[in-house]
Amino acid sequence: MPEEISEFSAPYSGNTGVSTDYKNMPIPELLVKDGFMSVADLIKIKAFSERSGLSMIKIILNFGYVSRKNYERSLTNAGYVFEQIREQPYEMEVLDQIDIKFADEHVALPLRKENGKIVVIMADPSDQLFIDFIKLTYNCEPEIILAPDLDITWLSHKLIGIPYVKSAVFELLNHDPKSSALITFTNPQLIAMFSTIAIICIFLVLNFTITSIVINVFISVVFLVAITFKLFLALVGSRFELHQAVTKEEVKQVVNDELPIYTILLPVYKEDKLIKKLVWNLQSLDYPREQLDIKLLIEEDDDKTLNAVRNLDFPAVFEVIVIPYHMPKTKPKACNYGLHFSRGKYLTIYDAEDVPDTDQLKKVVKLFSKLPEHFICIQCALNYFNRNENFLTRMFTLEYSYWFDYMLPGLDTLDIPIPLGGTSNHFKLDTLVELGAWDPFNVTEDADLGVRAYAKGYKIAIVNSTTYEEANNEPFNWIRQRSRWIKGYMQSYLVHMRNPVALWRKIGWRGFLGFNFFIGATPITFLLYPFLLSVFIAYLVFDLRSIRLLFPDWVLFISIFNLLVGNILMIYVNMMAVFKRRYYELILFAIANPVYWLMHSIAAYKGLYQLIIKPFYWEKTNHGLSKVNNAVNVVK
Amino acid sequence: MKQRSKTLYIVILAAILAAYYLIWGIYLAKLGYFNKEELFLIEKAKIVFEGVGNRLKVMGLTSPLLPFYGSFIFTGVSYTLAPIMASAFGTGILFYLVCSTLIKRTSDEFYVIVILLLFLFHPGLLYVGASGKSTYMVLIFFYLFFLNIFKFYGSNTTFHVSVSSICLVILIFCDYKFVWLTLFFIPLVLSISIHTLNLGEKESIFRLFLSFNNPSLRRKLINKSMAIFIILFVLPLASILIYKMLNLTHANDLNYFIDSPYSNWSVLAEKIDYSTLQDTVNHRLPEISILISARVIIFFPLILLAFYLFRDNTYQILTLLTPFFFIEFLKIKYAKVFIAQQYYIIFLILALLCIVTKIRTVRNEGTFKLVLILMISLSIYTGYVMLDTSAIVEERNFVSSLLHKKVIDSQEEVKNVANYINSLPSTSHVLLDDAIAYPIASFAKDVRSLTLPYQDDYLSAIEAPQKYDRYVLIANNKNAANSYTELNLKYVALYKAANSNVSLRKVFESDNWILYQIL
Repeated sequence: MPEEISEFSAPYSGNTGVSTDYKNMPIPELLVKDGFMSVADLIKIKAFSERSGLSMIKIILNFGYVSRKNYERSLTNAGYVFEQIREQPYEMEVLDQIDIKFADEHVALPLRKENGKIVVIMADPSDQLFIDFIKLTYNCEPEIILAPDLDITWLSHKLIGIPYVKSAVFELLNHDPKSSALITFTNPQLIAMFSTIAIICIFLVLNFTITSIVINVFISVVFLVAITFKLFLALVGSRFELHQAVTKEEVKQVVNDELPIYTILLPVYKEDKLIKKLVWNLQSLDYPREQLDIKLLIEEDDDKTLNAVRNLDFPAVFEVIVIPYHMPKTKPKACNYGLHFSRGKYLTIYDAEDVPDTDQLKKVVKLFSKLPEHFICIQCALNYFNRNENFLTRMFTLEYSYWFDYMLPGLDTLDIPIPLGGTSNHFKLDTLVELGAWDPFNVTEDADLGVRAYAKGYKIAIVNSTTYEEANNEPFNWIRQRSRWIKGYMQSYLVHMRNPVALWRKIGWRGFLGFNFFIGATPITFLLYPFLLSVFIAYLVFDLRSIRLLFPDWVLFISIFNLLVGNILMIYVNMMAVFKRRYYELILFAIANPVYWLMHSIAAYKGLYQLIIKPFYWEKTNHGLSKVNNAVNVVK
Repeated sequence: MKQRSKTLYIVILAAILAAYYLIWGIYLAKLGYFNKEELFLIEKAKIVFEGVGNRLKVMGLTSPLLPFYGSFIFTGVSYTLAPIMASAFGTGILFYLVCSTLIKRTSDEFYVIVILLLFLFHPGLLYVGASGKSTYMVLIFFYLFFLNIFKFYGSNTTFHVSVSSICLVILIFCDYKFVWLTLFFIPLVLSISIHTLNLGEKESIFRLFLSFNNPSLRRKLINKSMAIFIILFVLPLASILIYKMLNLTHANDLNYFIDSPYSNWSVLAEKIDYSTLQDTVNHRLPEISILISARVIIFFPLILLAFYLFRDNTYQILTLLTPFFFIEFLKIKYAKVFIAQQYYIIFLILALLCIVTKIRTVRNEGTFKLVLILMISLSIYTGYVMLDTSAIVEERNFVSSLLHKKVIDSQEEVKNVANYINSLPSTSHVLLDDAIAYPIASFAKDVRSLTLPYQDDYLSAIEAPQKYDRYVLIANNKNAANSYTELNLKYVALYKAANSNVSLRKVFESDNWILYQIL
């Protein structure tokens, strides 16, 4: 044993059936002895442990020091035996006396009383602090069972994480029921909807032609106004395309030692193929390792991902949090649960396949320091690394480029609520908690949270940093994902429009109109699009004499004008966006937008169906289908 | 002076200028000066607001569309004054735009004063502001289009290229012929693409050679050129396509707005102007290729100053050349049409744009100011010469009215016919063809008392006027446009032959028109 590490040795009296010379050696020192860590690492880990309250084994396995395989190899060579613990019996009286956070920090859990001892599962049998806790709390000696840390995490969250998962599900509902999407349609909304339908039916019976013309004109005008507004926003957004919220020089001036703890939540479900990529991407982030608090949020029944983490050949750079089973099984619920264990001042969410700009976190920290206090969230642009893979990925890239590069900056400039993107939104953690975090019943919790933040008087900013994601390259997978998004928009619209007057007062007329155009009009235009298109095709193909009554000259004029101008404007704003990104090869694909919108329409009808039948059902998007390798986006 | 107070100062100057143009416009109208476009717009506005029949077609397909809508705003004041007011205020706005670009770049008020003097005394600009023609709108959007193109060279932002594209759309809807401008941006776009490729070679021709011979670079070059061209021109071209589609659905003719005398005043006016002048001998500087560019330089010498200021900027020089190619092309494409003032005056505006955008780079300001004053004085003089020697009657007429209070082509005759129609009982309908008789219709008090081609009854009224109308207005053989209408003396002969039981009685006759009463 090297002399330098002797100062870290502590008397170890646990009973684990170890029969080697190293049985009294603390596990961290054992890892140093086996050459998996350096002494310098050990000193850093100890200091970090004292600072953060995390156990040393937690730091070793989750902050990129030693891989789980090497850890197991080292302990096995030392004579330790790892046991399978998932089926271990447990007693609730024993479990009730320990908090999940403490168990999680020490990767240990007392299970039951047996033969006058407390049976404890531990990843580090030399963790004296936890052993002392057991002795003090239960007033008896521990009977230590060595187990892989991931199994302990899994079992501890499953057994004692229930209050936290309940809080994750019901916190918003209990504290701000008006903002929860648990109830999809309120009674006044149902009355208003059915009354409108009834009134339209009455008018159709009284005067079919005039009523049809009025509806027709109304639809056309709404369609055109919505699209013209989008063009206007795109122009406003494009005006600031050279504006850099944070410059490279400002990023260079950031002092690493002054950076706050940054939490990154990574909600995943059956993403086993992406775990290696994920580690690689996270390691590329330009942020001090110890200041990162990365949580991989895995569902209780997701052994695939858990095993992928277990089988990593290299050290992990994230902690695993297992979400105990509870309906609804949605991403916001997982994030809310992860929030209980987050230590950061700031927090962001990435998907497993995300490739953020390496300097993104520093940019956000810098921007938060420049912005007034009421800015609580910063949204980064999203784009795709596999844009040239097929038609769908090209169209998706066009759409995202337009949305994140023009629309959101446009909304930001005009001070209109920003529907946040699914990932790469960076929050001030304390304000996020104050807002009630994400709504687990809403399937586009991000967009909902953006509006809720505005309604409470907070603001969202946009930063000049991009996260590259994997564009959906498979049509059915795409429709699943899109149907969820559109359903979520419908949910968010219904939630915030429960009291339109109150919303108007809270977010002002600009915010109110913006909300209606973006959150409300988006699903409606997709639902109407096939109808308008079929009328146009019928006009071109068939003799319109039979339905001429519904289309007098002036209505026909407006309808054709709107349809053509609307389509062309939308095609144009998509072209503008890829032009800005210098994806010149994609510019002509914008012409295919009318076809792409038909796919939106299919997804919109699926979303509408699901909104009525199963509103909280989370349509899972499969990731990792792309065959394109994602290079890390190093910002020099 | 702070930026806000400077802006206010410019706004006040623009308002005064607009009032100045308005006074001139009213004065000239009182003197009897009217131009065909103005009268055409007045007549169409009357149909839209007071007519009975398919007004949608008139409203949607009257060309140029946007100036027509521009004059709508002022129809509440007076139909006759509306085009004049639109052009006066429009030219005021143009002055504001030029000066607002200027004050962002220099605080020297000398330049504002010089520009103001130019706007006050240049006959071309006076023509734009006081004539009631739509040239003001052409100039506004021509200015904005090029301003944003220049800004794009500096900033390389999609915003500027998109805004210039939108300006071009509006410009085309102010004057369709500007659609040909798109052709001459192709070399410019290629030049921009070549220059933005990441190559070690500096010389353009070698860069081009390298780009064409390397498959990867060639692809990049084509992609980029295509992208810039599309982003700049897809919107104008698509808009034209849509508009043609609307023409097809509502007039059964894709080119109705360009070709029909019912929708576009210039269709007949240009033909008649050209054929009239063919019969006379003249020794003016002719409008033929190459000499057109020479005419531009002679009549708008300020453009030379623009070339001088941009002598080191390839893109800008190429951009300045595009309107030259454009005007040369117009003469080739529309060989039998004289080039109107609005295609020449764009060079004055372009020169002003170049001066205001490059003002900061001028080193020897004293000399520059002196040259500028000289050039502007010369431009004002050549401007008068140009209008005075113009092949287009109404341009000569404008200068004559302005300087000598002498209206060459007075609308007195037309007014007399209109006054006679106005004096008829309100129940007596008059059949007339506004393809050529729109000046009369524009002076008519009640457009509902006229049977015009936009109405469904018109064709039936031609067949059997006695069932619909009490009077019919006929173009006699002296009328230069008599062959462009059905209602000429041949119609009278045919009508008399076919309807022996109905007779036509001449109730009013002028040099060009005869009004028959149907008995």
